[in-house]
Amino acid sequence: MLERFMSVPNEDNMSPHTQLSSHFLGELLDSIIVDVASECHRIAKLGLDRNSEEEEEELRLSAQARVTVAAPSHSCETNGKYVVDIFGQTHPTVANEVFDCMNCGRPIVAGRFAPHLEKCMGKGRKARVKATRSSTAAQNRYSRGSPVSAYSPYSNSTGTHKLSNGTYNHTVEEYSNGTCEEP
Amino acid sequence: MATRNSVFANPKPCEHLADYKLRHGLSGYKSIQKWLKANPYGNTSIKMCETKIPRCLFCSGYHQGRLFLCLICSSVSCSDHTLLHTQSEYGHDIAVDIERSELYCCLCSDQVYDPDFDKVVVSKIFYGYAKSKLLVSMSDRRAKSCYPLGLRGLNNLGSTCFMNSVLQALLHAPSFWNYFLTVYSGNRTPYSPAQFLYSWWHHSANLASYEQQDAHEFFISVLDGIHEREGKERNSNKDNGGCQCIAHRVFSGMLRSDVTCTACGFTSTTYDPCVDISLNMDTTNFSSVDVASKSVRPNEDTGRSTLLACLDLFTRPERLGSDQKLYCQNCQERRDSMKQMSIKRLPLVLSLHIKRFEHSSLRRSSRKIDWFLQFPFSLDMTPYLSPSIVRNRFGNRIFGFESDESDISSEFEVFAVVTHSGMLDSGHYVTYLRLQDQWYKCDDAWITEVDERIVRAAQCYMIFYVQKMLYCKANED
Repeated sequence: MLERFMSVPNEDNMSPHTQLSSHFLGELLDSIIVDVASECHRIAKLGLDRNSEEEEEELRLSAQARVTVAAPSHSCETNGKYVVDIFGQTHPTVANEVFDCMNCGRPIVAGRFAPHLEKCMGKGRKARVKATRSSTAAQNRYSRGSPVSAYSPYSNSTGTHKLSNGTYNHTVEEYSNGTCEEP
Repeated sequence: MATRNSVFANPKPCEHLADYKLRHGLSGYKSIQKWLKANPYGNTSIKMCETKIPRCLFCSGYHQGRLFLCLICSSVSCSDHTLLHTQSEYGHDIAVDIERSELYCCLCSDQVYDPDFDKVVVSKIFYGYAKSKLLVSMSDRRAKSCYPLGLRGLNNLGSTCFMNSVLQALLHAPSFWNYFLTVYSGNRTPYSPAQFLYSWWHHSANLASYEQQDAHEFFISVLDGIHEREGKERNSNKDNGGCQCIAHRVFSGMLRSDVTCTACGFTSTTYDPCVDISLNMDTTNFSSVDVASKSVRPNEDTGRSTLLACLDLFTRPERLGSDQKLYCQNCQERRDSMKQMSIKRLPLVLSLHIKRFEHSSLRRSSRKIDWFLQFPFSLDMTPYLSPSIVRNRFGNRIFGFESDESDISSEFEVFAVVTHSGMLDSGHYVTYLRLQDQWYKCDDAWITEVDERIVRAAQCYMIFYVQKMLYCKANED
């Protein structure tokens, strides 16, 4: 409607009906504009406005960062593997520390501890006798109901917003040694 | 903050307004009080006569811009003729904009502000219906010593990066770390949080499985577990202001929800405690930086948003659907309503969760929103606090609000960012920590130093802010 009004070139070409409606639209717009101006004037005069300088600085730094990181010469995140960490250590893809399982007492490799513990504690798909896995797992992951009821009233999580972790296989992605050189 | 509050509470009047107040006090304000009409959206206007529209005394116009009512003689002038009025009647300098109930100085040709006038307007808004009830519902390398204590990798025990990433953030939450002393032993080899996993699976049996998990869900689960464990030892002391377990002392804040009847404006308020805030991504707002660049319209791949836009969305008035009509105590029937959230009390550590997961029950599918979300390193939460939001709802009138004075400052600094990369079902969590102004990347067992630009450009999923004073204190050590 605004575009139609704005695009009318010549008042003389308009019928009286169109003229009148254009006139009313103009008045409505003027009134709305003054509303906004009045509100902003009050906010400014009473010192309620947000610190736009700081906000713009943060936006600028963020935009700059994205440009830097996306640049092909930037080697930090995209190419190169981890060589050493800050303590001069390297770590294998699968954590190789060995410790005793607190459930069964057997020595387990750290990187395989979770799947072992699952079976050991009788949790998990294969271990479970009842075939309730699909309904409860799906419910827990996607429903609004169960996770909230488990943690309310101190949680405002709706329970539907989940991102999974995934592979712990570090060779899939490549990293540099972490410290970034200036471009 | 003190200066800001004093400007708000006592704006300096122009000499004409000051003079008018000396001569006439509040009589003019009180005389128009009977004509004030407030609508449920917080706007107030002046209606003198039910049958006739006001016209300018000089030109009989009623549609030229604004109309002003003189506070002394009640004559009406349009914006073109306010000066004429004050010239013909000496001392008739102060008028009121009829449509907006704003004070206007005819000699300064500017809108002016007076707390006494706002008080008159606001009391009219509340007049006529019962006061809103407050329903409180029952929230080593070679030089190892140069690195901050407590920086240590966490072994991935088999798809447990969701756990490691949140643990890193919790371990470094100022005032929370005392509970995890093993990390501060000085040992720099990666720690295997096996006992932790074991305990957690005992507590949260429904989440105990070797499969892909959500970091936010884990976070809530951990806080809940801590609360339960400690809750039995310390009584949830209502006089003390809620639960005193470490999880709640650090992370618990209070949200306020106002539901307003769109017919009469009556508002019902409820308070709910929370340990974090989950934010929907708002993509309607684009910064000027983005508009200047090529992509303005959001599409699946290149949409972007900012944290402040998400917070604006969170506190924006929301029109409840017609299927969600709520019972209005004033109207005594079900009415269409608006709902608005705000923050009543900020926690020491503010955890913000970005809802990147979209679930469509219709298509029975879920997807991840990969849009970039800009977030600031320094965050001022003032605009999202209840006083600011409620005041804004009433046109930012100057009036006292119950919780104006707060011990907790609203300035925060980021100290941990949990990021997710990859797809919905097969992705990877990594946490960035800020310790003594240096950013570290915690990728399971790998701790590396990164430039802050990497963090700014990362795809954040959970952002942890701590009160600025605590942050500065923590970094002094």
